[in-house]
Amino acid sequence: MVNPWIRQNVAMKEAHAELLTLTATRDHRLQATWLHPRSGCQEQVTLEASQEYFPSLTPMLPEVAWDEREIHDVFGYIPNGHPDLRPLLRTPRWPDNFRPLRDRPSARPAWRDAEPDNPALTVEGEGVTIMKVGPTHAGVIESGHFVFSLMGENVLHMDAHLFQNHRGVESLLEGQTVDAVGAIVTRICAADTVSHQTNWALAVEALAGYDSGAGLTLGRIVLLESERVLSHLNDLAQIPAGVGFQVAHQQALAIKEAWQRSLQRLYGHRFLFDTVRPGWVVPVDPEDLLRLVHAIRRQWTPWRRLVEGHHGFNDRMAGVGVTTLAEVIRFGGQGVVSRSAGKVFDARTLLPLYQDLRPVPVVESDGDVRARFSVRVQELEESLRLIEQAAARLRAMPRDARWCPPDAVSGQVVVYTESPHGLNVHDVAVVRGRVLRYHIRAGTYRNWPLLAHAVPGNAVADFPLINKSFELCYSCTDR
Amino acid sequence: MSNIRHSLQIRHVDAGSCNGCEQELTALTSRAYDFQQVGLDWVASPRHADALLVTGPLSDAMARPVERVWAAIPAPKWRIAFGDCAAGCGVFQSAYATHGGFPKADLVIRGCPPEPGAALQQLRDAMRWTAIDPNRQVGD
Repeated sequence: MVNPWIRQNVAMKEAHAELLTLTATRDHRLQATWLHPRSGCQEQVTLEASQEYFPSLTPMLPEVAWDEREIHDVFGYIPNGHPDLRPLLRTPRWPDNFRPLRDRPSARPAWRDAEPDNPALTVEGEGVTIMKVGPTHAGVIESGHFVFSLMGENVLHMDAHLFQNHRGVESLLEGQTVDAVGAIVTRICAADTVSHQTNWALAVEALAGYDSGAGLTLGRIVLLESERVLSHLNDLAQIPAGVGFQVAHQQALAIKEAWQRSLQRLYGHRFLFDTVRPGWVVPVDPEDLLRLVHAIRRQWTPWRRLVEGHHGFNDRMAGVGVTTLAEVIRFGGQGVVSRSAGKVFDARTLLPLYQDLRPVPVVESDGDVRARFSVRVQELEESLRLIEQAAARLRAMPRDARWCPPDAVSGQVVVYTESPHGLNVHDVAVVRGRVLRYHIRAGTYRNWPLLAHAVPGNAVADFPLINKSFELCYSCTDR
Repeated sequence: MSNIRHSLQIRHVDAGSCNGCEQELTALTSRAYDFQQVGLDWVASPRHADALLVTGPLSDAMARPVERVWAAIPAPKWRIAFGDCAAGCGVFQSAYATHGGFPKADLVIRGCPPEPGAALQQLRDAMRWTAIDPNRQVGD
């Protein structure tokens, strides 16, 4: 007799539902929220865990391996039967029995005098060498620690040790008032900030029963798509840098700079921080937006011609860092990474937010660096189209009356948007205007294990290229 | 003629930033700011560095690696806190897994994240001080 917790969750996966969140609460409750991609309906599976143990889903659903390790680290609940219960975000510096989301720390813990490194999984055998990279890197990138097992130049195994940037965001959010949450949520990740802000706004509006008007909705779409353009420009600039194609790298950085200066002028911030709040979005003149899109196209189109016409560059990307559709489904991969391998899922098609603008998911099938590059190129153009359409509609739109959330809003809700890095989910519980629990599951979280599967079999020198083509957030994942 | 006397080679370490500071630091290398032409650059090794630039509120997992990088930089050397989190005035100062910023910074560049044009100016100003008197700390 299979445990109902396992049976119900496996049934969700078999029905092709997407896992939104798997998380716990202080009173030993586990909750998995699934999204049915056809209907857009959510379904929850809950478990009242007996004391400190719960049956692990990982042997049946490998995509939750990290979620369960995280629950173990921050709550202390033990997933029985988990095949790899090494610490994920906990380090040897954490005091014994320090479980931040169970204990609600009011002060910083007394860190132990120890190195922060956790044990690594490596390959043993004759001729195998171990190469450690990070947590500090030679270039200007976020901190992460990777342990490669190599045979000559070929990667046999990659063990990713993330959470070097773990700040304790979910714990910090607990107890905050509705007014105070926005400034924190905005800064979870600069690359996905509008998506995080919009999630928080949607959560409060859903809990308060507020139905946002068309002007507010279109204003948010413009911001979400502007963020996608910015993020994709950044990622598209980095991939040529990974193979020494400096002209394409520098020209893409120049387009990105032009885009950021325009965002600064229109919205007051180069990354769109603090532009979305519950019941509010920063106002913009639609004519300015249309001029902006027109101007960026004049730089973008020659750049696209340059990179697509460069056979050496395209050959260099082909067949490198392959992720298969089977792996994407197995690990619940999201965003560009999953669409490049043939998975037809883009949360924008489900969001009432986008109404009849009908974003078209861009899908390729090769699952290599070239496919991920190509999907971003096409998605960027689709985003420019959506901005134009939304701006054209905004012209005729009266400004919505300002709405402020009530002080004593209460309830629990799971909200999501499609960030530039994939399905971005917030699981929010608020009691009388204060946050009880705030769980953030960014699309990148599900894609890191996929990266670890895409790298083996490639030369270690290709890791930077593969890594840049995944372009996974550390800050969204580490929190 | 520029009054730049020498170069300032910088080692960057992220200690819990949101990646906004990193993107703006990368923008400094782009043709819009081209900070290499005035003698600034990122270096891959602390042995080649004159300064350590840290972003983020100093996550606990990065606290030791940061100090190890600092110890590996030959003197004279300077500490730069880049962005509000590293400066000790960001939104994550009181999060449990942070140390609230990069301590004892000689140069603090504020902003969330700092605007690259303004950051470039502050780095150029710092180059003047470090060139006139290598023993003088920037913040003196």
